[in-house]
Amino acid sequence: MHESLYGIPVSWYLTVGAMLFCIGLFGMMIRRSAIGMLLSIELMLNAANINLVAFGSYLKLPTIAGQAFTVFVITLAAAEAAIGLAIVINIYRLEQHIDADKITAMKL
Amino acid sequence: MHILGHMITGYQVAFVALAGITVGAAVGVVLMPNILRAALLLGATLVGVAGLFVLMNAPFLAAVQIMVYVGGITTMIILAIFLSNRVMKIGFSQAIYNPILAAGAAGTMFLFLFVTVVNSVWIKNAVNLEPNKSGVGVEAVAAALLQPYVFPFELASVVLLAVLVGAVVIAKEDPHDA
Repeated sequence: MHESLYGIPVSWYLTVGAMLFCIGLFGMMIRRSAIGMLLSIELMLNAANINLVAFGSYLKLPTIAGQAFTVFVITLAAAEAAIGLAIVINIYRLEQHIDADKITAMKL
Repeated sequence: MHILGHMITGYQVAFVALAGITVGAAVGVVLMPNILRAALLLGATLVGVAGLFVLMNAPFLAAVQIMVYVGGITTMIILAIFLSNRVMKIGFSQAIYNPILAAGAAGTMFLFLFVTVVNSVWIKNAVNLEPNKSGVGVEAVAAALLQPYVFPFELASVVLLAVLVGAVVIAKEDPHDA
């Protein structure tokens, strides 16, 4: 691995990724609205992307695997957001709210 | 530039600025009571991450990030917020779970990750500290997607088609309802 890229050690990027992930985790736990939880999921996915690209760029042999995987992560994040928001809109139409704790239609 | 005896490069200044935008806006995303403002701040976070991608020699991913995340996903989320507008009143103050407990759990997780990152010994046999710019551009990504990763690439297109159909079916108005 490169010791540093442009004078920036890899641990700096990993720290930013860890911060972003934990902020997303915190948001996931305190938000009640389904859209707020979706926002937190996007934060956590971006933290993973930062780590993937960082490791891909810092390897001494040029490897594109990190970037290729990030492209797939972004694709699936878009898919997840589309389906999630469609479900949110459908639930809002049925129940007039999107409070994740009050959605109990599938509860026994 | 020298600060406290340390050599500070312009790249490091850029990194700190971008990381500050990213993390600061992310805190706003989580804590903002108004969900619309939170969604707009998510856009700022995503732009900051795109800047970090540029610093990591991944310009193609930065462009993808801007186009798909900032241009697509953020817009979609804002539209969904407009379509379910009573949500905007649900805020941080109405969180039923203990926010202090949540902060403790997330903080512990961060501490664990941070200690792991700092104490890890990365293999450093680097002689040339110059970044290898060959093989990180758009051509390299295209070659990787169409040669070793062609199966996941095709699978992703199938997933996107399924999502397109699924989202329309789920969000479509029920004709029996109206």
